[in-house]
Amino acid sequence: MRKYGVVGLLSWLVVSTMTAAWAQSGPCMAVLKGRIVGKDSREPLPGSTAYIRELGTGAVLDTSGYFRLTNLCPGKYTVDYQFVGYKTVTLPVVITRDTLITVPVIQLAPDNQMLQEVVVTEHRSEAQQLLQTQSSLSGAALDQTRGQSLGESLKTITGLYSIQTGPTVSKPVIHGLYSNRIIILNNGIRQEDQQWGTEHAPQVDQFLASRLTVIKGAASIRYGSDAIGGVILVEPKEMPTQSGVRGEANLVGATNGRMGVASGMLQGAFGKTLPGLSWRLQGTLKRSGFVRTPTYFLANTSYHETNYSGDIHYQLNKWGIEAFYSQFDTKIGLFTGAQVGSLDDLYAAISRPEPLSQPGFSYALDRPYQAVRHNLLKIRTDYHTAKGGILTATVARQQNTRQEYDFLSFSGLTNPELSLKLVTHTTDLVWEHRDIKTPVGGHWSGSVGFNGITQGNVRQYLFLIPNFRSYGAGLFAIERYASGRVTLEAGLRYDYRWLRAYFLRDGTNQPYNTTHNWQNANGSLGAAYQLRPDLSLTANLSTAWRAPNVADLYSNGLHQSAVAYEIGNPGLKPEQAYNSNAVLAYSGHRLSGEVGFYNNLINNYIYLKPDSVPIIRQRGAFPAYTYTQVRATFRGIDATLNYKITPHLTLATKNSLLFAYNQTEQNYLVFIPPNRSDNSLRYDLSQWGTLSDVYMSVSGLYVARQNRAPAVTTRQQDGQVIFTGDFAPPPPAYFLLGAEVGFTARIGAHPLSVILSGTNLANTAYRDYLNRFRYYADEPGRSLILKLRLPFSVGKQT
Amino acid sequence: MNPVKKQLLWLSCVLLVTASCSKDEQNVTPTDDNEAITTATLTLTNKATPTERVTATIENLNTTADFSKATLNLKANTTYTGVITLLDKTKTPTLDATQEIRGKANEHLFVYTPTPASLLTITPMDRDTNPAPGPYPTGLATEIKTGAAGTGKLKVVLRHQPGSKNGTPTPGTSDLDTDFPVVVN
Repeated sequence: MRKYGVVGLLSWLVVSTMTAAWAQSGPCMAVLKGRIVGKDSREPLPGSTAYIRELGTGAVLDTSGYFRLTNLCPGKYTVDYQFVGYKTVTLPVVITRDTLITVPVIQLAPDNQMLQEVVVTEHRSEAQQLLQTQSSLSGAALDQTRGQSLGESLKTITGLYSIQTGPTVSKPVIHGLYSNRIIILNNGIRQEDQQWGTEHAPQVDQFLASRLTVIKGAASIRYGSDAIGGVILVEPKEMPTQSGVRGEANLVGATNGRMGVASGMLQGAFGKTLPGLSWRLQGTLKRSGFVRTPTYFLANTSYHETNYSGDIHYQLNKWGIEAFYSQFDTKIGLFTGAQVGSLDDLYAAISRPEPLSQPGFSYALDRPYQAVRHNLLKIRTDYHTAKGGILTATVARQQNTRQEYDFLSFSGLTNPELSLKLVTHTTDLVWEHRDIKTPVGGHWSGSVGFNGITQGNVRQYLFLIPNFRSYGAGLFAIERYASGRVTLEAGLRYDYRWLRAYFLRDGTNQPYNTTHNWQNANGSLGAAYQLRPDLSLTANLSTAWRAPNVADLYSNGLHQSAVAYEIGNPGLKPEQAYNSNAVLAYSGHRLSGEVGFYNNLINNYIYLKPDSVPIIRQRGAFPAYTYTQVRATFRGIDATLNYKITPHLTLATKNSLLFAYNQTEQNYLVFIPPNRSDNSLRYDLSQWGTLSDVYMSVSGLYVARQNRAPAVTTRQQDGQVIFTGDFAPPPPAYFLLGAEVGFTARIGAHPLSVILSGTNLANTAYRDYLNRFRYYADEPGRSLILKLRLPFSVGKQT
Repeated sequence: MNPVKKQLLWLSCVLLVTASCSKDEQNVTPTDDNEAITTATLTLTNKATPTERVTATIENLNTTADFSKATLNLKANTTYTGVITLLDKTKTPTLDATQEIRGKANEHLFVYTPTPASLLTITPMDRDTNPAPGPYPTGLATEIKTGAAGTGKLKVVLRHQPGSKNGTPTPGTSDLDTDFPVVVN
């Protein structure tokens, strides 16, 4: 019921203001004043409230630590002093005529029993109520990653990695799983942008998000099949309610790549003139040139991004309707030194310590490059009732056009080599039922829903994946019961998938098609237990599945950037995952942190297995890979610990360990993130001269060598040297030094947030195992990044 | 089910069905490679008797290559002038890639490697227009001297070396990499 507590609090604040206005001229002139502090910290609790039961009015503790209740009539009253996460104190007070009454300092004791519920209250969204292991980035932590791609931003969370294709393409990896095994929910919509490709970065504007939440582990029940690795939620800011126009300007500049990013947002509401209506416009422009490693520039690693979005929301009593449109447009240069015509070229490139061509800096962006545009139109409507809960219906259309341009040798054509247009329609209907209190003090919450999806894909030029049409439908139900220290959750889901792929027969060019359909039911169980006031344990068991996608089934073509001929397997069965995880979270006075364990067993795990015979084409020999299924396990530990050495100085350590294994072939899996440890020391000052929120930090990231990788073996085949497992052994371990300084300065009434950070400060030359271009070149060298953020308001505010 | 929910469910179903009416995916376009090379032909003319010509052609290079007409039958201890032609038969009309390569001679190099090395001696006869330290050979026209009788193969590699051509095969990437069987009698 905490949710209604917040709604109640807001509504009586409104009431209290109105009461105050009404009572101004009356005989009631008494003022009640006081302080509310936490019993644990002895510090004021800003945002805590004093509420007079009899009058239905209250006041909030202001930043100076006081509350004031004015225009009180004489009488006897009962006052509730309350704050989220603390036990409410109720005290009587007697008001006499025309006096100022100062009550003794109110001390609120922390309510440890409520800790679990507090989390639920703070997180308004349905997603965050799930008991699944989740981590999020918001506020200052998110600001620190501004200007980076989604994949790079999320790397600051334990258990998350990114798989890269040079410095310009970065895809998120959760617990060793990526691409189609992760669902990205962008503004509530399941992002569909050909994510099967390891060199296809998600088309999401990071500046749209006010919170990035990652659900680690199988989260299929609520978000649909495929999510056997996890879910990434990109959640925008709440729409404004205050009248007037406000905005925010972001500027980011980096020395490496001479990158510049500008992002602006304007939003407004109309207050009493047009209650319930609000809008937001947002846009981002990003340009970057050649990235520099410690010793040379990486030719053609320029990057362009141009995004905009508009959002309009209207709330009428219990009805809300929202229309959102966004366009994300990128042109991504691929490192020319990684362009190889054949296996021979690849071996020659691997054997070179540095790329042959090392031009100077430039913003030039030529072939090879990717040009990708993603459009999203979303219409959402919701209906709130006190008795029924919240019913939400969402329809969305996404159009993703991807054009990949390879190096051209002689023809001078302007066509791309690969063109894919994917149009996705989704429909979601979710009913989140009202919190139901039980007589024994527990309460039930939960939701049921329907997800529908249809996709059409049209290819042109080279064949990599066929045209297809797919339909999918899912039904789910999740119920949660919380009582005292225990929260229990159970979920069930049924999915149906239908896929038809369209081809032309070799030679005759006669069209034909093939059809698949799959169905599956999955479930989840979760429990959270508050062992001690400062210690909680959460555990989950869930199953999830993923139907093979069209690339798994029907790929047939040369993947030039991967130097691989990939062959699909139409006989693939769906992947079935059995995921278990447990998280122990501790929040003590000086020490806090959490340790999570996970075990993900995937039957029929689909992966590209190297074939024994290479494929010979005009450019020479290429290793061939066929999609194969094995039983795979992904086990690991995520551990985060924070220790306050002094009130200002914090030591933080984030560690991610992962052990993945191909049980069927008794071998390691390729491209599994190595273990890593990220440690930082941070000094915070709430005020330093005129600057506030001042901090400085130094950090060291250690990434181990991946010793659990398939052995690289060579053999002779038709006069060609053929490598199996991988083309080169994993690169050595590396250590990167970083530092950051940040503060907020006042520009008039507006707080300007400034962050200056340095990455790879020691200018270490290193290669990362998860970068597909690690065979050819080093990772980026030192970079200094300046991030500015200025919230502002336009015109007169009311 | 309450009436509102029912209506929404209907609405969503209708939207889903109407939205997915477009059937673009059913019109499959054939595969189109911007730079397919389907056919490589070596034409060798006996320098002493120009009426004596030997041709060898490899077809379907871009898929599964057909070597049935690919063998070069040459005379021992003879000098030939050689010309290579590359075609893209996937285009209509057939595209002569040799012409385009000639137009961009400054970034292309044909590399001929006989196995065993004693089988043939190949000398490029043409020059590009690269500035000093160029010009460099291109290898569209060659002089081929045969040695003693024997069999082997001739590897032909077309290197694409934009901005990096230096007369050696090392820079760049391969556009063509294939072998002609050779019989010297």
